[in-house]
Amino acid sequence: MSTKRLAATAVVSASVLVLSACGSGGPGGGGGDFSDGKVVLAVLNDQSGVYKDLSGPNSVKAVEMAVADFQEKYGEEAVVDEIEVVAADHQNKPDIANTKAQELYDREGADIILDVPTSSAALAVATQAKEKKKLFIDIGAGTTELTNGQCNKYTFHWAYDTYQLAQTTGTAVTEGGGKEWQIIYPDYAFGQDMDKSFTRAVEEAGGTVGDHIATPFPNDNFTTFLTKAASAEPDVIGTMQAGGDLINLVKQYNEGGYAADGIELAVGLMFITDIHSLGVEAFEGVQFAEAWYWNHDDENRAWADRFLEETGTRPSFAHAANYSAALQYLEAVQAEGTDDADTIVGNFEGKEINDVFLKNGTIRAEDHRVIHDVYLAKVKSPDQVTEDWDYEEIVSTIPAEEAFMPLDQSACSMGG
Amino acid sequence: MSTTTETDSPGTAPAPAGGGPALLGRTRGRWLLLAAGLVLALVLPWVIYPPVAMDIAAWALFAVALDLLLGYAGLLSFGHAAFWGGSAYVAGLTALHWGLPFPLAALAGAGFAMLLAWPIGVLSVRRSGIYFAMVTLAFAQMLYFIVNQWRGLTGGENGLQGVPVHFFGLEAVETDAFFFYYAALPLILLGMWFAWRVVHSPFGRVLVATRDNPARARALGYDVERYRILVFVISAGLAGLAGGVFAISHGFVSLQEVAWQTSGKVVLLTVLGGIGTLWGGIVGAIVIVILEDQLASSGFEGIGIITGSVFIAVVLLFRRGIWGTVSDALARRRGERPAAEAVSAADGEEGL
Repeated sequence: MSTKRLAATAVVSASVLVLSACGSGGPGGGGGDFSDGKVVLAVLNDQSGVYKDLSGPNSVKAVEMAVADFQEKYGEEAVVDEIEVVAADHQNKPDIANTKAQELYDREGADIILDVPTSSAALAVATQAKEKKKLFIDIGAGTTELTNGQCNKYTFHWAYDTYQLAQTTGTAVTEGGGKEWQIIYPDYAFGQDMDKSFTRAVEEAGGTVGDHIATPFPNDNFTTFLTKAASAEPDVIGTMQAGGDLINLVKQYNEGGYAADGIELAVGLMFITDIHSLGVEAFEGVQFAEAWYWNHDDENRAWADRFLEETGTRPSFAHAANYSAALQYLEAVQAEGTDDADTIVGNFEGKEINDVFLKNGTIRAEDHRVIHDVYLAKVKSPDQVTEDWDYEEIVSTIPAEEAFMPLDQSACSMGG
Repeated sequence: MSTTTETDSPGTAPAPAGGGPALLGRTRGRWLLLAAGLVLALVLPWVIYPPVAMDIAAWALFAVALDLLLGYAGLLSFGHAAFWGGSAYVAGLTALHWGLPFPLAALAGAGFAMLLAWPIGVLSVRRSGIYFAMVTLAFAQMLYFIVNQWRGLTGGENGLQGVPVHFFGLEAVETDAFFFYYAALPLILLGMWFAWRVVHSPFGRVLVATRDNPARARALGYDVERYRILVFVISAGLAGLAGGVFAISHGFVSLQEVAWQTSGKVVLLTVLGGIGTLWGGIVGAIVIVILEDQLASSGFEGIGIITGSVFIAVVLLFRRGIWGTVSDALARRRGERPAAEAVSAADGEEGL
C-alpha cells in the first residue's frame, strides 16, 4: 500500500516538475517597447457558420492586406519588423469566444483582437479585453451595449450598430415619403431593440408606426403577418428579420405582390452576402442600411479590385472594416512606437480618420463608438446589374453625426 | 481518503458470477484507474490551457450526471441544459449581486437546479423513452424562453456579463485561471464521488432494477416513480454544480447554456464515452472539448463535419462508447485467462 502511494506521489511530483518547466517558458522579456518583440493581430470570428461569408476567413485576408500595405508604406522605417496575423473560429458560441480570447491574449501574445460577430460573443470578448488590458475592436457584432452600459477602455466598435441601422433606414425612408409604417419583428432581444429604435427614428422623422407585429423566432411562414401588415395599407413594411428568416419573408413579400400595391419593404439588417445568396431578383427594390459599399466610389472600387484578386470575391462592409481597423491600429503603433495598449487607446481617442472604409470617421473618446458616414442602399433590379456583386444603388448618405447614437443618450462611463 | 476503502467494497461484496480471484485483480485495476484519473485531473492545466481544462472538468461532471440518469435509470433526458444553464444563471447572479464566493454560488446554482428538477421530474418520469426525452426537452425550452424574455435579470441575448470570481480574497484564484482550476476541482471531484456513491449504494442497485424491469421492481415493492424522481433530482443537482462552476470560470452566462444544443452536446459526450459506465462521460468531455478547442484555431472550416464524423464512427463501431469498448476489451482479455487467475489469489494480485 505505502509503496503504491509513494509511487503515485512520485509520478505526480515528477510530472508537475517537468510541466512547470514548460509552463514558465512563456512570453518574457521581449524587445524594448514591443511585447514579444512583435505585433500580433488576432481575428476572432465565425469561420464555419452563418457569418462565414459576411466576414469569416476573408476578414483574415483583409487584415493581412492591411499588414502588407503598412509594411509597404513604411518599409525600413516601420517601428516593428515582425507583424503576425492569427485567426480563430468562435463558432458563434460565446463560451468558445471567451476562452479563445483569453488564449489569444495570453498564449498567442495577441496585442489586439478584431471582428467578433454575434453580440453575446462580442460582449464576452470585451470583458476579457478589459481584464487583460489589451485592445479589442469589434466589427461584426451589432449590439449598442459595447459602447453603452458595458463599454470599457480597451474596446472599440468600428463599423455599425443596431441604433445606426434603425436611424439610417428609418429616417431616410420616412423622409423619402414612406410616412406610414408597419413593423414586423422577431420576438427576441435583437428584434425588440430594433423595433424600438425604428419606431423612434420613424417618429422623429415625422412618420407614424401603426402595428408592431411580433413573430416567433425562428420562423418560416410570414404570410399571415404580411397580410395583417398590408391590410392597414401602409407606405412601408419594415422587417427586422435577419438571415434565413429574412429570406423567407422577402420571398413571401414578393409572392404576395405587395410591391405592386405600392407597399415598400424596408429591411432592418441586411448584408450584401444575403443578396448574393438569394439573388438580386428576390430583393429588388428593398431598402436597407449599408455601412460601406464596394462600388460606391473609385477609392472603394480600387480596394475592392485588390480584394477580388486576393480572395476571388467582392468585399462586404465587414471585410473593409477589418482592413481599416487593422491599418489604423498599425498606424497608431507606428506613431507611438509601441504596442502598449494604454498608449494606443490614448492615440485613438478623439482621432479623426479618413480611409477606404471610414469616411469622415471619428473615434469618439467618450464611448469608443467609431462614427462615420453611412448609407441608405436600394437593391437594383436585375437589368441594372452590370457585373457580379453589383447589387446596390446608394440612395443617400447619412452624415456620421446623425447616424449614430448621440453621446447624451449613451449610458457609457469609462471608469478606469 | 475514504474513497480508497469504498473502492474495495465491490470486491468484498457478495460476488456475482465472476468468482472471487478475478475480482481481486479488478479491484486493484480500479485502484490504479482512480489514481490515474486523479493524476490526470491534477496535471491537466499544466498540459492544456487552464480555461480549457476547466471546461473539460465541468463538462465531464455534466456528462457523469447525465449518465447517472441515462445509464443507471434508463431515462434519456433531452433537457438537461435547463439544470446546467439554470444553475449557471443562479450562480452568476448570486456572484454578481451578492458577491458570494464561487463555491457557494455554484452550490446555490445546484440547489436551484434541484428545486427546478423536482416538479419537472414529477411530471416527466411517468413516461419513458422518447416521450420522456420530449417532455424534458419541452421544459428546458420553456426555461430557455423565460431566460430570453426576462432581460432585466438575465440580459437576454447579450447574456449575463462580468460575473466576478470571489474566493475569500485570495487574489491568485480570483484572477488566474490556473489557480482557479485547482480551487474548483474539489467541487467537481465531490460531484463525481457523489455520483459514484449513488451508483454503488443500495439505492443505485434498485435504480438498475427499475431500469431493467420496472414491472418486477414494482412487484417487489419498490416505488419506481419515486426512485426515478429522486435520481432525476440528483442528476439535475450534479449538472447544476457543473454548470455553476462553468459559468463562474467563464465570467459570464449566455443563452447558449440553456439552449437545446447544450442538452444535445451532453448526450453526445455521454454516448461517445459510453452509456452506463459513469466515467465514460469524462472521456467524452476530454475528446470533444479538446477537439472543439483545437479545431477553432486550426483554420479548418468544417468543425461540425469532424465532430459529427467522430460521433458517427463511435456509434457505428463502438456501440458501448469509448470507455465501454475499452473496458469490455480488458474484461475479455481477463476472461481469456481465467485459469491463470484462478491458481491463487496472490497471482491474481500480481497479474496486473
